Amino acid sequence: MQILEARNLKKFYREKGREVEAVRDVSLTLAAGEILAFLGPNGAGKTTSIKMIAGLIRPDDGWVRICDRDPHHQPQALKLLGAVLEGNRNVYWRYTPEENLEYFGVLRGMSQNAARKRAADLLERFNLAHKRRALVQSLSRGMQQKLAIAVSLMHQPSLLLLDEPTLGLDVEATEDVKRLVREIVQEGCAILLTTHQLAIAEELSNRVAIINKGEIVTEETTDELIRQFSGSAYVIETERPIDAERVRKLHLLGLECATSRTIHVADAPMLYQVLAILKPLPILQIQKDQANLTDVFLKLVRGDEA
Amino acid sequence: MITIFWAELKRQWIQQRRYALDSIAGILGIAVAFYGFFLTTKYAAGPAAQFGDRLDSIVVGYALWSLVTFIIADIAGGLQQEAFTGTLEQLFLSPFSPAKIFLTRALARLTVILVQIFGILLILMAVTGRFLSFTPTLLLPLVTVILGAFGIALAMGGLSLLVKQVQQILGFLPFGLFLAMLVPVETWEMPARLVGWLLPMTPGAGVLRELMARNQALDWGQLAIAFLNGGIYFAIGLALFKQAERIAKLRGRIGGY
Repeated sequence: MQILEARNLKKFYREKGREVEAVRDVSLTLAAGEILAFLGPNGAGKTTSIKMIAGLIRPDDGWVRICDRDPHHQPQALKLLGAVLEGNRNVYWRYTPEENLEYFGVLRGMSQNAARKRAADLLERFNLAHKRRALVQSLSRGMQQKLAIAVSLMHQPSLLLLDEPTLGLDVEATEDVKRLVREIVQEGCAILLTTHQLAIAEELSNRVAIINKGEIVTEETTDELIRQFSGSAYVIETERPIDAERVRKLHLLGLECATSRTIHVADAPMLYQVLAILKPLPILQIQKDQANLTDVFLKLVRGDEA
Repeated sequence: MITIFWAELKRQWIQQRRYALDSIAGILGIAVAFYGFFLTTKYAAGPAAQFGDRLDSIVVGYALWSLVTFIIADIAGGLQQEAFTGTLEQLFLSPFSPAKIFLTRALARLTVILVQIFGILLILMAVTGRFLSFTPTLLLPLVTVILGAFGIALAMGGLSLLVKQVQQILGFLPFGLFLAMLVPVETWEMPARLVGWLLPMTPGAGVLRELMARNQALDWGQLAIAFLNGGIYFAIGLALFKQAERIAKLRGRIGGY
């Protein structure tokens, strides 16, 4: 089921008398139970795009639909949306987690009773129950961030916008947030995730869209994107050094040992010939030359600059 | 709407209770400022001076002025504060319109403020030895003043969505409002009186003075003018806020500067 559809979003700003193109032509779709990692360097247009989706910035061109509703003209569309925005506190620091959850729940259209029940559930689930009556300003950054996510989930939105949800968090809090993101998406929520921590994006996302200079430069499933940027070579590492006879046979195939125990193989068909030669030497590992999202990101963004 | 109102009232109540010292200091501050103003005037006028109903009028005007200043600072200043601390965008993500949220918030705040103002009035009456009359009809002109105050607050709130320096305007505004609250437009003759009717909240403040300080019967004609005045200022303020919201969304200015 399609949750988000954004088409040809454009946004220009006037800066010191000249027009700056913040977002040129961004189109995004997102289905239920899917995480789309929306990546890009600083100033690429990520936040402007997210805010156009959330109805906080009006696009100069293009349109947004959340479950077929327009957040810019149909306020009911906002009932389907939750957001944790980067650089914002998102919650009131002079109130407790419980008070924040209940208040924002009502503000999202819930009744006081429903908000109270849901707040208690979320406090338990987010391991914040023991801090429910502590002032938010006294909580750790990780707890504040978990609370901000809980607040955004109060009204059980279909679409969740997470802008840098793990920024500034320690390892434990980051793991907590990752676990919660996985749980939320398993419940059918669609998540648009922006982060500069590409390993997290790779770990969590089903699809990746990379934006640079206001334009989407690629949009693919995460696996496919990594596959496209991965080589076809393999690296074999043996437990013991490869003997001279085997080195000679490998040489006949046109292969040279990188070290006494490591050999690089160009492609899959050759891999089995090499394995036949190495047999019965114990193999420590065979690894495909695998790109990661950081490699992909840098190639695309730098390639675009060149 | 009622649900939001209760949620806002709860929020205000929590704030008042949690930061009780701030609230008490606020009330005392206004009362002490008035006492200083009262003593200075008395000293300047000399011991033989009799203030009579003028003093009562000043008490009413001062109490109204503090109410109006509270409302305007609350909406416009509060909106700017939320933009700085980073909660404003969460309010704009609500299915309820921002104008509705801020008005409901202001109404909840008003409820709390009215209790405080009543406290201030009691202190002022004790300090000055002048006792004002309170009747249910007072609510009618009070509503007209509050409508006008909401209108100005919304206009200022809209402005604070667009410009950073609204704090400076907010700093000057109380002086203008002081004038509007204390101008005895009800004693003016035509055509000056006509000009007085156009000033924000002034006709309502005049009706309140007549009721509270001069113990006169309610003048329904004056009240109608006060309602018209309050309603027009409210409508203008609301329209300006909505326009400012539209521009802020176009410029991408909500939530940050």
